[in-house]
Amino acid sequence: MPKRGGTHADIARTEPVLTDQQLTALTTLFRHGSDDASLALSRWLSRPSQVSIEQVEQVPLSEATDVLGHADDAVCFCAMTLSGLVTGELILSFDDASGLALADLLLGNRIGTATRWGEIEQSAALETANIIGCAYLNTLARCFPEKDAQSPELVPSPPKFSRDFPEALMEFALMNQAMASDTVFLTRTEFRIEGAPVNCNLLFVPDAQCLATLREMLPG
Amino acid sequence: MMQKTRPLSLPMGEIAVARENGVLRTLLGSCLGLALYDRRLKVAALAHIVLPDSLGRSATPGKYADTAVPEMIRHMQELVETERLRLHAKIAGGANMFTSADAGNTIGVQNVQAIEVILERLRIPIIARHCGGEQGRRMTIDTATGAVTIDIVGAATETL
Repeated sequence: MPKRGGTHADIARTEPVLTDQQLTALTTLFRHGSDDASLALSRWLSRPSQVSIEQVEQVPLSEATDVLGHADDAVCFCAMTLSGLVTGELILSFDDASGLALADLLLGNRIGTATRWGEIEQSAALETANIIGCAYLNTLARCFPEKDAQSPELVPSPPKFSRDFPEALMEFALMNQAMASDTVFLTRTEFRIEGAPVNCNLLFVPDAQCLATLREMLPG
Repeated sequence: MMQKTRPLSLPMGEIAVARENGVLRTLLGSCLGLALYDRRLKVAALAHIVLPDSLGRSATPGKYADTAVPEMIRHMQELVETERLRLHAKIAGGANMFTSADAGNTIGVQNVQAIEVILERLRIPIIARHCGGEQGRRMTIDTATGAVTIDIVGAATETL
């Protein structure tokens, strides 16, 4: 019979990275970002759309890779690496059906027209990630505590499209934080288009350096 | 016919052991999966290693290459009691999905190098490997046979 090698008690002893007060301040900051992302998505799709904060959380490393579920099916995602003022990864992830439906909406096709990830469908997904991500990040950058003229600009890389196992995606995204701590921080949002939930997630995963900066900047 | 138990999935930084009819698996991105197996005793261990060196930290032995290996062997020895283990190893992982994230790649390479040194010191041969690339892997070991299978999205399953 398989058994796990007794590390649960040890993991439970790991310290959270940010205090509750700092998490509350960050949640407010991210809500501003998601409000602007909602506006950008609504304009982009020409439909009322909502991007809302679902969770701002600190979880043990061993649980963090389950955030997108641990199904055997692949997820699609568009990942942007952030440098400058905020460093880490911003990832728009979705299942095939939701992503292809989004592409149909953008291309003016009947839902169900797109059945595979061709160049046009990938391009629609990447542009969506670019628009939502940049709206979210611009607001974060404006609201970032103690931002001054000397602060570096926030520079996102062009998004990259991939399909992979959800747990593997999370592992890639959390690797930098895992190097510094057994507890990791991440924030995720949920999507609604014309009031209906869509199986998309916008994940913000700051790296260890960004977390250290936030810990110093935020009161608590 | 012997019934298989459900696969036991390991999260980041953990270790699992099984004997005779167990199936262990883990999802790997930049991290390294290490499977140890004794063909005669049909006992296996799998670790999801995150970093090469614990630097003296002992709270999560499965997370580091230098603490994971002795911990795996300790658990395997517990399962076989006084029998002598004769182990070989198979490794997988160490990919780099975010091309600008050089640290991930470096850590993946360092994990492989650390495991090579540790296993050589213990005279445990690495008989198969499936490392690098830009995609995640599902690594599964069947304790009945010692076969390690590697699944990558969009590719055929490979057996090591």
